[in-house]
Amino acid sequence: MQTNNSFSFHRLMLLFRQKLIINKRRYPLALAAFSGSLIISFVFAQTINNFGDWSNMHFVTTFISVFVIGGIAYAGFSFPPFRSKEKSMVYLMLPATNGEKFVFEILSRIVVFIILMPLLYWILANLEGAVFHYYFPELVNYKFSFRDGFLTIVKDGKFEFWALILTLQGILFIFIAPFAGAGYFSKSPLVKTLLTFSIVVIGYFLFAYIVDKSLNLDGLRPVGKDQIFFRDGQSVIRLLSISMFIINMTFLAIAWFSLKEKEA
Amino acid sequence: MIQIQDLHFAYPRQRPLFKSLSAELKPGSITGLLGKNGAGKTSLIKLMAGLLYPVSGKLSVLGYIPGKREVSMLTDIFLVPEEFYFPAINISAYLKAQAPFYPRFDKELMTTILTEFELHPDHHLQRLSHGQKKKFLIAFALSTKSRLLLLDEPTNGLDIPSKALFRKILAGSLDEDQLVIISTHQVKDVENLIDNIIVLDNGAVIFQQTIQEIAQKVCFVSGSSEERKEAIYSEAVPGGYRMMIPCGQEETEVDIELLFNAVTNGHKIG
Repeated sequence: MQTNNSFSFHRLMLLFRQKLIINKRRYPLALAAFSGSLIISFVFAQTINNFGDWSNMHFVTTFISVFVIGGIAYAGFSFPPFRSKEKSMVYLMLPATNGEKFVFEILSRIVVFIILMPLLYWILANLEGAVFHYYFPELVNYKFSFRDGFLTIVKDGKFEFWALILTLQGILFIFIAPFAGAGYFSKSPLVKTLLTFSIVVIGYFLFAYIVDKSLNLDGLRPVGKDQIFFRDGQSVIRLLSISMFIINMTFLAIAWFSLKEKEA
Repeated sequence: MIQIQDLHFAYPRQRPLFKSLSAELKPGSITGLLGKNGAGKTSLIKLMAGLLYPVSGKLSVLGYIPGKREVSMLTDIFLVPEEFYFPAINISAYLKAQAPFYPRFDKELMTTILTEFELHPDHHLQRLSHGQKKKFLIAFALSTKSRLLLLDEPTNGLDIPSKALFRKILAGSLDEDQLVIISTHQVKDVENLIDNIIVLDNGAVIFQQTIQEIAQKVCFVSGSSEERKEAIYSEAVPGGYRMMIPCGQEETEVDIELLFNAVTNGHKIG
């Protein structure tokens, strides 16, 4: 029988099946722990807001915090077998292509989180809201809606194309950067990724500051404009969107080659 | 089945481990990969499995370049490392999770070997002793029916009855097209099992012969200090000497430990 050496959907499904069998006890426990801590956070936040001041916007703010922190933490532990030599050996010798293993990690660490986390949040927020409204009627705004939250952020109901792309790339960056770090670093990947990221960001701003001061770019700034090289704010957003896309693709490439060239 | 030509390998920031290493291995044998500590037995096995990348030279395993880790190669190679990891599930769940990746997995053989090793599908893998875990992994490796089995120190952690059982099961479970490479420094454990010997030393293969070839060339006998003068190599043992002498008419059983010591001390055989 000829073996498909490129990509097999069947083997990808086997990877999911394997993961589910191995973690059949861990997943419900993790889900319960996450749900429990989320409900406790709601109760705590609503209590300090005296129930009456609680609004959909608070739900949105909590969601964004949980989504970002949870996303970084969850994606930061991608490629779990790379944390030890013994696990790495088993993982690398498993008969599945690098492509299948890579897609599996992206799906299970990024896509699943992006789809399931908001859904779970929506269910828990409304459930908790309804239960607490019953016991504490002063909790008036107990219903949570993503749509209302979204419309609050986008006040005039319009969302410019490049701004949307930039937002999406930013969301993906939250996941892709720790994902790549988890593939690249074997020990303490999340800490090392955050440290590397901090060094790069600080280094960039330091460089920009030095260039700005040494070339006296302040003097070149056109009157009434915030930026030097761009005609308007839209151009800046466009450039940032494209840069963000390139950065995300670079990080994915780092993760891919970390897996492909991993030794054990 | 395995061709190695002028293989160079070094770990980062370390002196080369293999310099111009060459060897060829054919299917249908159980090969003992012997060498002192640090000779590179495990590294060579990992190179064959595609877990390490050579610096230069040619390495072909089952017609594949191991470093590419193609699926068709991975279904045909199984590595039993010295230290291994099992998830926190029972044997039955492990088989459900792992066996489908191996298209030729033989469930009946697995059941038979598990019974012989006194392991039950309900046994939780993380609650097994190191020796039991190793027995399970060996059983799984044999059941995959992979054409190449790489066993790194397989008898480490096994008790005396299990070692004998391991030899019996391994000899009885193999097909003609399979090649087993056993890396070990406990040569007594694999005596009467291996039919080909490779000795690694100073980054190269210094000896590679079949047991039959060795038995035709040299004999292994015990004798006195007077008889020792005729020996190619000898070692003092209680009550006399254990000697390797040029073979006459009658062949003797190969004393692998003595042979290994002779070879690594620079003595030529045949």
